[in-house]
Amino acid sequence: MNLKEIKEMINLMNENDLVELEVEREGSKIKIRKSSSETASALRPFPEYRMETQAASPKLVETTPPAVTPEKKTHEIISPMVGTFYRAPSPEAPPFVEIGQVVEVGQVVCIVEAMKLMNEIKSEVRGKIIEVSVENAEPVEFGQRLFLVEPV
Amino acid sequence: MFSKILIANRGEIAVRIIRACKEMDIRTVAIYSQADRDSLHVQLADEAVCIGAPASSESYLNIPAIISAAEITNVEAIHPGYGFLAENHHFAEICESCNIKFIGPTPEAIRLMGDKVIAKETVRKMGVPLTPGGKGVIKTKEEALEVAKRLKYPVIIKAAAGGGGKGMRVCHNDVALVSSFTMAQKEAHANFGNQDVYIEKYIADPRHIEFQIMADHHGHIIHLGERDCSIQRRHQKLLEEAPSPALDGKLRKKMGEIAVKAAKAIDYRSVGTVEFLLDRNGEFYFMEMNTRIQVEHPVTEMVTGVDIVKEQIRMANGEKFKIRQEDVKIHGASIECRINAEDPENKFMPCPGKIEVLNFPGGRGVRVDTHIYPGYTIGPYYDSMVAKLIVHGQNRSEAIKIMRRALQEFYIAPIKTTVGLHSQIIDHPQFLQGNVSTHFIEKLMHEDPEARK
Repeated sequence: MNLKEIKEMINLMNENDLVELEVEREGSKIKIRKSSSETASALRPFPEYRMETQAASPKLVETTPPAVTPEKKTHEIISPMVGTFYRAPSPEAPPFVEIGQVVEVGQVVCIVEAMKLMNEIKSEVRGKIIEVSVENAEPVEFGQRLFLVEPV
Repeated sequence: MFSKILIANRGEIAVRIIRACKEMDIRTVAIYSQADRDSLHVQLADEAVCIGAPASSESYLNIPAIISAAEITNVEAIHPGYGFLAENHHFAEICESCNIKFIGPTPEAIRLMGDKVIAKETVRKMGVPLTPGGKGVIKTKEEALEVAKRLKYPVIIKAAAGGGGKGMRVCHNDVALVSSFTMAQKEAHANFGNQDVYIEKYIADPRHIEFQIMADHHGHIIHLGERDCSIQRRHQKLLEEAPSPALDGKLRKKMGEIAVKAAKAIDYRSVGTVEFLLDRNGEFYFMEMNTRIQVEHPVTEMVTGVDIVKEQIRMANGEKFKIRQEDVKIHGASIECRINAEDPENKFMPCPGKIEVLNFPGGRGVRVDTHIYPGYTIGPYYDSMVAKLIVHGQNRSEAIKIMRRALQEFYIAPIKTTVGLHSQIIDHPQFLQGNVSTHFIEKLMHEDPEARK
């Protein structure tokens, strides 16, 4: 067999999607096998699928879509712990902050209560409160947004 | 029965516990770190609370965050799983003081068995055989040398507050002992915050045999037979089986009675495991007691038909455990392979990454306990076990055939796993004969068992 014939055999294999071809003729034998670039597997790859989240959201808090979509540069004050969110230092007292109010760096904006301890949460920026993201006395988780602040 | 339980864990055991709860009509709360947002246990639970950053210390070991999550979701009980806070008696105490039922033993039982030196002293009084060892904590090199001379080499130095195979050193002579002693103290301090070490005779070629204990709140304590966990790499179990090919009915009865005695010695409640070393002459020695549910509990479930997690929850609820010792029968044989996302051909390097293709084996006698799914990304923050492949056959021979077949069907890409290593083990003549000791893996892999990972 010459090179031309071998090339024809290779084309034949490709056109017909063959993996292996063996030809014997006039005392000479040739076997051509396509090497697979994929890892050898007895199985065809499965289509990828994601676990469907259940209809009922497993998330603790029903996160209503924020009233304000941050277009301007905004800063999120997020909860550093799991607990219960309180807007005021005590039930009779006025809230620490209101929407529209400007807060300073280090100013207490709310309390997150965890295991009977009241933790004061402070603002890291100077800015105007444009959203209060959690209702009073609602539970919050680690990393949950508490306020949206527009730095000034 | 509890109406809601919080699972203070992650991964496959969290999934296992959530499944048991669902079947018992108990609502479930999952906790998760920011790294586990897409985890299966979060998706399966009724409610989920993010409790912290990825690092275990800030999340799964973060007691205030977990208790806080339990309070805001109003759960009645917490199941700690295994690892993390499962054997932390402070956590058990805090749960109690917050009026949340800790699904496990009493804080006192955890504390007693958590200190390996105290544990041995406690069971010694009940006539439980112990590995010959120096009495209590060894404080100085001179003491160590004296003890070693009395016990005769080889000896092993262990951390009193230790476990999981960490902080252990085998010594064959005085020179090795002196250098290892200081290193062992340092390691013990680094790993467990406590530098106390003790010394025992090192038993050559032992088998690791453990008994599953079930104890209700009414003083009824039985065992559900043994598991043979001799196949270990650097003191981490790779493969477990029930029953042990090394035990006959007589030895099982004898060891089982001692295991129950050890549990009774501390007024034990809930599930637990008593571990023994068995030498070639049929002598056995108490090693330690684990006061939690164990990774390998499924093999006992397969041969006894008992759902250990459900029974654990029922017992925590104060219900009487209905099974008598004489009712416990072992049916057939079960084997479990722990599949880790590690590359055995590259020093067992962990292989985090996204799972693109995944096929689990199935069919008669096959069970897979896992938290992974196609498209899931294995992160670098936690241990590398991704699945437990468990089989059950009418006898050991059939169980081995099913495991061989199941390992061939197990396909995962592009993550590297230890599936191939398990296939090698399951085909090995020594394993087939049931003739392995805890040195089996190191000989198979020509590894130095005491090399640091």
